[in-house]
Amino acid sequence: MNVLRSLPWTPLASASLEHCSDAALRGFSTILVERRDLADGTTGRFHGLLHSGGRYAVKDPSAARECIAENRILRVTAADCVEDTGGLFVSTPWDDPEYGDQFLEGCRATGVPAEEIPVAEALRREPRVNPGIRRAFLVPDAALDPWKLVWGCARSAEEHGARILPYHRVLDLEVDGERVVGAHVRSERGGEEFRIHATVVINAAGAWAGQIAELAHCTVNVRAGMGLMIAMNHRLVHMCVNRCKRPADGDILLPLRTACVIGTTDVFVPDPDQTEIRQDDIDLLLDEGEKLVPGFRQARALHAWAGVRPLFEDTAKVAETRDVTRSHALLDHSSREGVAGFLTITGGKTTTFRLMAEAAVDAACEQLGGLRPCTTAQVPLAGSESHTLYQISHRLAAREPVPQSEEIICECELITRSGLEDTIKQRDTTSLDDIRRLLRLAMGPCQGGFCIYRAAGILHQGGQVDQAGANQTLLDFLEERWKGVHPILHGDQLRQARLDDWIFQGILDVEHLPV
Amino acid sequence: MSYDTVVVGAGLAGLTAALRLSERGQRVLVVARGVGATHLAPATVDVLGYLGDTQVASPAASVPVLISSSPNHPYAHVPAEQLETSLEWFCTKTAALGYAGNLDENLLLPTALGVPKPSALAPRSMSGGDLRAGGRFVFVGLKGFKDFHPTLIADNLNHARLPNPIEARALELVPPSSRRGDLSGRVIAGGFDTEDLIDWLAGALEDRVDPDERIGVPAVLGLRSGDATWQELEKRLQRKVFEVATLPPSVPGIRLSDVLSSALRTAGARIVLGVRAVGARAKGGRIEAVEVVNATGTVSYPVSSVVLASGGFASGGLELDSFGATRETVFGLPLIGLPNTDRVRFAPHYFDAQPLATAGVATDDQLRPVDASGSPVYENLHAAGAILGGATPWKEKSGTGTSVATGYAAAEAILTPAPTPVSEAVR
Amino acid sequence: MNSLIRDSLDHCVKCTICETYCPVSQVTPLFPGPKYIGPQAERYRGAGPPADSSVDYCSGCGICTQVCPHDVKIAEINSRARAKLWEKRGVPLRNQMIARPTVIGRLGTPVAPLANWALHNRAVRGLVQSVVGIHRDAPMPSFAGRTFQSRARRHRGPAGAPAVVYFHGCGTNYYEPLVGEMVVAVLEHNGFRVIVPPQDCCGLPLQSNGNFPAARTYVRRLVDRLVPHARAGLPIVSNSTSCGLMLKREAHEILGIEDDDLKLVSESMYDLCEFLLHLHDRGELRTDFMSLPMTVPYHAPCQQRGHGIGKPALDLLALVPDLHMIELDVDCCGIAGTYGLKKEKYEISMAVGERLFKEVTATGSDLAACDSETCRWQITHGTGVKSVHPIELLYRAYGLDRRTRAGSVSPELQTARVSG
Repeated sequence: MNVLRSLPWTPLASASLEHCSDAALRGFSTILVERRDLADGTTGRFHGLLHSGGRYAVKDPSAARECIAENRILRVTAADCVEDTGGLFVSTPWDDPEYGDQFLEGCRATGVPAEEIPVAEALRREPRVNPGIRRAFLVPDAALDPWKLVWGCARSAEEHGARILPYHRVLDLEVDGERVVGAHVRSERGGEEFRIHATVVINAAGAWAGQIAELAHCTVNVRAGMGLMIAMNHRLVHMCVNRCKRPADGDILLPLRTACVIGTTDVFVPDPDQTEIRQDDIDLLLDEGEKLVPGFRQARALHAWAGVRPLFEDTAKVAETRDVTRSHALLDHSSREGVAGFLTITGGKTTTFRLMAEAAVDAACEQLGGLRPCTTAQVPLAGSESHTLYQISHRLAAREPVPQSEEIICECELITRSGLEDTIKQRDTTSLDDIRRLLRLAMGPCQGGFCIYRAAGILHQGGQVDQAGANQTLLDFLEERWKGVHPILHGDQLRQARLDDWIFQGILDVEHLPV
Repeated sequence: MSYDTVVVGAGLAGLTAALRLSERGQRVLVVARGVGATHLAPATVDVLGYLGDTQVASPAASVPVLISSSPNHPYAHVPAEQLETSLEWFCTKTAALGYAGNLDENLLLPTALGVPKPSALAPRSMSGGDLRAGGRFVFVGLKGFKDFHPTLIADNLNHARLPNPIEARALELVPPSSRRGDLSGRVIAGGFDTEDLIDWLAGALEDRVDPDERIGVPAVLGLRSGDATWQELEKRLQRKVFEVATLPPSVPGIRLSDVLSSALRTAGARIVLGVRAVGARAKGGRIEAVEVVNATGTVSYPVSSVVLASGGFASGGLELDSFGATRETVFGLPLIGLPNTDRVRFAPHYFDAQPLATAGVATDDQLRPVDASGSPVYENLHAAGAILGGATPWKEKSGTGTSVATGYAAAEAILTPAPTPVSEAVR
Repeated sequence: MNSLIRDSLDHCVKCTICETYCPVSQVTPLFPGPKYIGPQAERYRGAGPPADSSVDYCSGCGICTQVCPHDVKIAEINSRARAKLWEKRGVPLRNQMIARPTVIGRLGTPVAPLANWALHNRAVRGLVQSVVGIHRDAPMPSFAGRTFQSRARRHRGPAGAPAVVYFHGCGTNYYEPLVGEMVVAVLEHNGFRVIVPPQDCCGLPLQSNGNFPAARTYVRRLVDRLVPHARAGLPIVSNSTSCGLMLKREAHEILGIEDDDLKLVSESMYDLCEFLLHLHDRGELRTDFMSLPMTVPYHAPCQQRGHGIGKPALDLLALVPDLHMIELDVDCCGIAGTYGLKKEKYEISMAVGERLFKEVTATGSDLAACDSETCRWQITHGTGVKSVHPIELLYRAYGLDRRTRAGSVSPELQTARVSG
C-alpha cells in the first residue's frame, strides 16, 4: 500500500503520516511520499490547539463531537505532544455575552465539558486577559505540538516497517486500466526518479489533494483557505483562550511550547503554494490580540507564518471559508469515478487527524480484502509510551542537574550539543532548516542569531557537509528565517534583527562567504 | 553635581566623546541604560570595508568616494584630517592594547567563519591575523567553546579569494578539567586572568605547530591580562599568535571598554549605568538639563552640552512600533532614512536592501541633529555613533570607525570654538 | 506589575552582556548565569512548579539589571523565580532566621557579651554550621549591646531647624549605632533637626530569601512608620544603601506592592550621600572640612549602584582637603546580604570577593570606605582592613569627633577614632 503525501508538501502532514502509521500498525507494507520535509506542510503550520470541540459546539456539532472524542484519545496516545493547558472561552466587551448561553447549550448537546466560572476567577487564572470580560467558561482545550506529533507518527510508522520518503515529489500516478497501481516519484535532493508499485494509494495531500487526484484523472474539489498566525515571544496566557462568539479571525490565543500563538485568518487562495502574508492581516491579528490581552501590540512578536487548510466542497458553493464544515471527507474514487485502488482523504483538522487516518485505512482494508482492526486509539505514539503529558518546563528540568555540563547550542530552546549531533546523525540531514523542525533550533527570541553559526560549525566539523555546504545551509537558513520574521518586524524583534545583522554581517561577514 | 556635558550612551561613540571632553577638563557624566555595544563588537576599528560590493583596500582613498555618493553619511561631517586625528588619538588612549594599522591600508582579518574582513585598526593581539601576505595558518579551537569553529574557518579561508596564497588548518584542544562544560568566552578569559591557563595553552601548542605557522586562537586570552597573555604566548612559542573575534560577547571589546572607562574615571568623569535618559528641559533652543530616570524617578542634570550616543535600532536609540512609526527614543529628534510610504514593509529577501537600514538623525558639520530645514534642533546637542543616519555600517564595515570619528568630532565641536560657560546647578 | 517584570524579558536579545558581568557564574558552575536563569528560563516557567532550583544560587546583587543595555529586569525576574521556588518548597529554617535581623537583633542585644562570644567562638560556629547551615567562617558583626534607637530617644536635637527623617536600618540599630550617631551629627552640623521614627526591618533579607509574604508585611509596617513624615514633605535619608533601594524601588518592582503610601515614601527617599550632595549642589552643604591626609579605597556596593545616582560619596569626599579616594573598579564583594553567610555559598561568596579584596589590599591603605554594612563586614573579613561608611570620613573631616557640643554628639563618639 502506498500513502502519498503528494505532489506538494501537504497540509495534513500528520494526517498522512498517521495514515502511514495507522497502515503500518495494521501490518501493511507502507511507503509515504512527501515532496518536502515532514512537518513542513499544513500540520507543521497549524496553530497548535487541540480542540475540546467548544469552538464548533454551536455551529458544527458533528465536528465538536469528533473533537472531544479525539481530544480524549490523544491525551493518552500522543501524551508527549499534548500539554494540558485547559481552555478558556471569554466574552470580551466586543462579544455578545448571550452567545455564552448558546455556547453552553451547544457544549451540553455535543458532550463537550464546559463550565462557567466567575470573571474574577478567570482573571485570577489569566491576569493579562482583558479585565473587561463579562463571562468565562472552562473547557478541556489543550496545546498540541505539531512537530512532535509528526515526528512521533513518523517514528511509530518506521518502527512498524513503513518507509518514509521526504523530499520526494510525485510526478505521476500509474493507472492500469481502471486501477491506480503506483506512482512515479522523483527525489528532490538527489534528482533520481523511480516507480513505486502499490495496491492502494491514499491521497492525503490536503489542499493539494486536487492536484494529486488529477494525476489519476479524478476530480477532488479542495479549496485552499490560508490562515495566518503570529508567535509571541513568551506566554502571555497559560491556557488556550478563545473568544466566546461565532468563530472568526484572530479569536484564539494559546500557549505553545515557550511561545504563545494568536490565530488565525481565513482567506481563499487560488494556489496553496502562494501564501503571501499581508500587512492588513498582521494588523488584524494584533488588533484582535489587543482585545484579548491589553498591551498585546507592545508585546514582542517573534515570527508569522501561514498554513493552508484543505476545504473540501463536494457540491454546494459556499462564500465564506469558515462556513465549510471542518469534518473530513473520504472519497473512494472507485465509486466516484470508477478508479480503483485510490482513496482521497481531505478536509478535517489536525485534532481529528487520527480519526481521518482510521477512516482512510479502513476503506483501504476493504479494497485489500478484509478489515484489520485499527489500534491507533490505544497504541501510544513513539515518544508517548509513558503517557506523560508534556510540560513547558521539560527542557529546563532536563538541564537542571548540572546546567553547565555541556554546551547549549541553541540557548533559547535549550538544545545541547549532543542533542544536536544525535539528531543530525539519526535523521541524516544537512539542512539547518530541517534541524529546526526536528529540534526547534533557532525558534526562540534570537531567531538563530547565535545558534546558527554554532550549528553550521558543528555540521561541518562532523563531516556531514563540506565548507560550501555549511555556508549554503547557513545562508539558506538566514533567508528562510527572514520569511517568517520580516512581516512582523517591529519593536523588540527589530532590535533583535538588527543585532543579528551586526552578528552575521558586521562580525562574521556572511555576505562574502565563499559558496 | 553639575556637569559640563552629559553623554547619553556608554558604547564606543559615547566613551570616545566623554574621554575626549574629560581630558580637556570638562566635567562629564555618562548615563546609559547599560554597557554599550563595545561588548558585542570585535575591538577592531572598521573605518570602511566595502563600497557597495567592492572591497576597500584603503579607507583614506575610499571614504571621500563614499561621501560623494552618500552625502548624508556620518563621515561627511568629519573632515578627512579629523578622521585621521581621531584615530591617532584613539591609539594613544588605548596604548595598553597596542592598536596596529592605519587609514591607508585595511588589514584583512579572518572572521569566526573564515571570511577575510577589512579593518583599519586592530589591537596587536589580533592584527597578526592579517591575511594579505599569505602563508601558513593554524586555527585553534577549544573543546566546549561553542562560539568558535576552527575547522570551518580554516576550510573557508582555503577557499577565500586573497592577494597571496594561504594554507590553513584547524586544531582542537581539550582544556584542562577546571575549564570544561558550557564555556563562555568570558569564563575562559577569566581562566587566563586567574589561573595558569597560559601554561596549559603554550604547552599544548608547542609540539603541534610548525615553525612557519601563524596561530589563530579565539579572542579569549584574558580580560584584564589579555594583551600580556598574548605577548607571553608569542614569546614562549616563538611564533606569531593572533586572536580571532568570536560570537558576542566579545572579550577584546570588553577590554576596550574597560580601558576607555578606566581612563574616564581617572579623568574624573562619572559613568552611571542602569538609568534612562528620557528627555530634555530646553529653553531658547538650548538644552538646559537632561532628564534621567533612576531608581526613584526622574532627576534633571543641568548641562552646557549634550552628546547623544544612544545607538541605532540594535541598542534602542531608535524604535519602530507595531503601527509602523519610527522614533528617536531620548529626545524625539527628527529622522532621515525613513521609507516614503506610510507603512514600513521589509523586503522579502534577507540580503535585499531593507528599509530603515540608513535611518537615524541627520546633523550639521558640528554633528548637531538638524530638522528638515537643516537647522540644529538644539544649539548644544550633538550626536555620535550608530544613532547617525545615512549609513549601513554592518554592510559597509564602518561601525566602529564611525563611532570613534564622530565621538571625537562631537567632542571637538563642543570644545571649540570656545567652551560655553558652565551653568549653575539648578535643582 | 507582575506582568511588567516578566514582560521585560521581551527586550532580551540574548547578547549575554549580563553573563559577562555576573560575579557568581564566573566562579561557580552551580549558577548557570543571569541570562540563562532570567529571561531565558522564565519562558519555561508556566503555571506549574518551578523546575530549576539553580536559581537559588543567584546572589541577587543586581549587577545584571544594571549592565543590561535593554532594560531587562533580570535580577527581578530571578528574585521572583526564587520566591516561587521557595513558595512551593517552603523556606528553610536557616533562611527564615537570617532573614529577620530585627528578631536576631532583639534577641542578641540584651545578651550582647554572651552573643558576641558565641558569634566568634570557633566551636559554637562549627555547631551552628552543622545544625543551622551558617558557615563557620562567614563574617558576623558584633552586637553593640545598646541599640541606636535607644540612644536616639535620649538625644535632643536642635529645635526649630528644618527636619530630616532618618531611616537607619537594622545594621545601624543593632551593630553599628555609632554610624547612626555620626549621621545625626553630620546632618545636625548642616543645620538639620533629625527625626528618628521607630522602625523595623525593611523586609529585604526576607525578599532575597524568597519569603515574599513576610517581606511585604515588613515593608508595609515600615512604610506606615515613615509615611506621615513623607506626607509632611520631609526628606527621608538612609545610610543603608540596600534598605534604601528596597524602599525606593524593589518593594514595588520585586514584591509587586502597589501602594500610594509606598510611592510617597519612595519618592521621599534619599541615600545619605545623595542627599548631602544635593545640599552641596544647592550651596547648602557646610564645607568647613579639615585636612584628612589619607588615601582610602572606595567600593561602591552593587546596591548603591542600583540607585542610579552615580557615586555621591566620592563627589563629597573630593571636597575634603588632602583626602585621596581611590575609586575601585570591582563589581561585587560577594556577600550579597545574607548570601555569603550560607554554608553552601560561603566559598562562592569569598571567590566573588577575591578581586575586590586584592584591590583593597593593593592600595596599602589600612582603611577602606563602602556604603553598605554587610559589604563592609565582608571587606574586613576578606582583607583585615577596617572598612567604614563614607559618613565616618565626613564626620571626621568636619572635626565632629573633636567637638563637644552638648546634646549633639554622644560621649562615645568623641573617642571613636577613624583609623588610617
